[in-house]
Amino acid sequence: MFKPIIAIAKATVGEAIRRRVLLIILFVAVILLFVAPLLGVLSARQEKTVLTGFVLGIVQLSSAVIAITLTVYMLPNEVERRTIYTILSKPVQRYQFLVGKYLGAVAALALMMGLMACVTLLEFGIIQHDWPKGVELLQGISMFFVQMSLLASVAMCLSTFVAPLVNFFLSGGIYLIGTLGYAFFDSFNKNPNAPVYSKALAWFVSTILPNFASYNVQNKLINPEVQIQNPLQYSINAVVYGGFYIAIMLIAGMLIFDRKEV
Amino acid sequence: MAAAIETKKLTKSYKSKAHGMVDVVSDLDLHVEEGEIFGFLGPNGAGKTTTIKMLLSIIEQTSGEGYVLGHELGDVEVHKVISYVPERPYYYEYMTGMEILKFYGSLFGITDTARMDMLLEKVNLHRDKTKTISQFSKGMQQRIGLAQALLNDPKLLFLDEPTGGLDPIAHREIRDLILGFREEGRTVFISSHELSEVELICDRVAIINHGVIARQGKLTELLKGGRVELSVTGVDKGILSGMSIGDGNIHDTPGGILFDVPEEADINSIIDGVRANKGSVLSVVPRKKRLEDLFVETVTAK
Repeated sequence: MFKPIIAIAKATVGEAIRRRVLLIILFVAVILLFVAPLLGVLSARQEKTVLTGFVLGIVQLSSAVIAITLTVYMLPNEVERRTIYTILSKPVQRYQFLVGKYLGAVAALALMMGLMACVTLLEFGIIQHDWPKGVELLQGISMFFVQMSLLASVAMCLSTFVAPLVNFFLSGGIYLIGTLGYAFFDSFNKNPNAPVYSKALAWFVSTILPNFASYNVQNKLINPEVQIQNPLQYSINAVVYGGFYIAIMLIAGMLIFDRKEV
Repeated sequence: MAAAIETKKLTKSYKSKAHGMVDVVSDLDLHVEEGEIFGFLGPNGAGKTTTIKMLLSIIEQTSGEGYVLGHELGDVEVHKVISYVPERPYYYEYMTGMEILKFYGSLFGITDTARMDMLLEKVNLHRDKTKTISQFSKGMQQRIGLAQALLNDPKLLFLDEPTGGLDPIAHREIRDLILGFREEGRTVFISSHELSEVELICDRVAIINHGVIARQGKLTELLKGGRVELSVTGVDKGILSGMSIGDGNIHDTPGGILFDVPEEADINSIIDGVRANKGSVLSVVPRKKRLEDLFVETVTAK
């Protein structure tokens, strides 16, 4: 059961880390991470605070673009290039193919985010002489990794029935709403005085769409005075939520993909 | 002989906005015997690839039934003993020939690198096993496709346009490999437009047109009905017209007389008749019916 999944995942990683568009995004992100300290100097605010925010912003944005770009073309490309037929004519079930592709995408994402994390650590440790801050940022980046894995599962699920370009904007839109608008919609949903239709929309967004916001740890890292009461419990909850949501997305994707005419 | 493939009224329909439900393949009754090379022919859009996808259980039939090596369509177990090489196959370009075999082998749980080496040698790629697929020519890509298809020692191979777009040398290499498969006892199901190629290697063929099987049978039987042209001189046409030539014709030509007779006509008695009348036989030219003629005749028939 697992051998085909692992083989497909490995092949997916091999392809993903050679995709020029992803390498360009990664290259730009790494360059920006290197020049980030210069921008901190130019800022009127506390230099390290600006640098931390900027670095996390670069990692998050570039990882999100990589996660979406990586996954939206994954299944359509396999169909277009007919690779899927040679694979599905072997003793491979469709769900194994889908899971293998997803795990490959997540592994490739881990490699690329790992590179950005290394650059961040070196930057804070060697250039800024602040290893503890660097290590703290790594924790933030690892939360981003869970967030991006969740985003990749959403894009992967959508790719089973939506065209790549539509999927790109749809996944991007879901990510933006789930990141920036989640808290707003959640409070709206809980407001008893809100109109019914607005509440319905707010309920949909805050219940059905994934809560990407819980992985955004910039606030605490940028402003140390902001405290999470039990950080470990918070992280565990966020990871469990992510794992649960990823499982739902993959199961939905499998069910759709299983009936899809390829 | 047991059937490698057997379908009964196999149908695949799709919803079309303009025409409602459209049958891409309709009531397909296909019979492929074990150990033969079977040609599956048809014009573009006739339903060849859809049929192959149904036989491989990649898509589900709308109605009808089918069996591949005794397994009902949809049974993925049969994938352990069949293989497929699609038209213009794409393989992960960053992989070498050996890595491709390792990848496809891992889908079966096959890790025997000695067997992979042997397969690379069989398809004449053993000297190129460290080259990446991006460095492969079309012919080499087709050959690595055949090598990956042989990994599981399949009893039945599906080849979709195996010689499409290849140069004559690569054509011959692929053809020889396919003929070798028959000698090894494998059944080969070929979908192709290369009619001369099919005529050379296939035992039986089926011609599909608009989703319906229009002809199916042994090539030798389907291609019956050829003609023989005899060119003679030195005899009077009136004497010859009394000969029994079936539905043959006799024409005057500048050099003499031309007989155009069915291949089953008694050619020897015509020659004897000409000689008995002091005439000379200039040439005897058999005009064999070609698969191309049969194909055109079938797909253009109303």
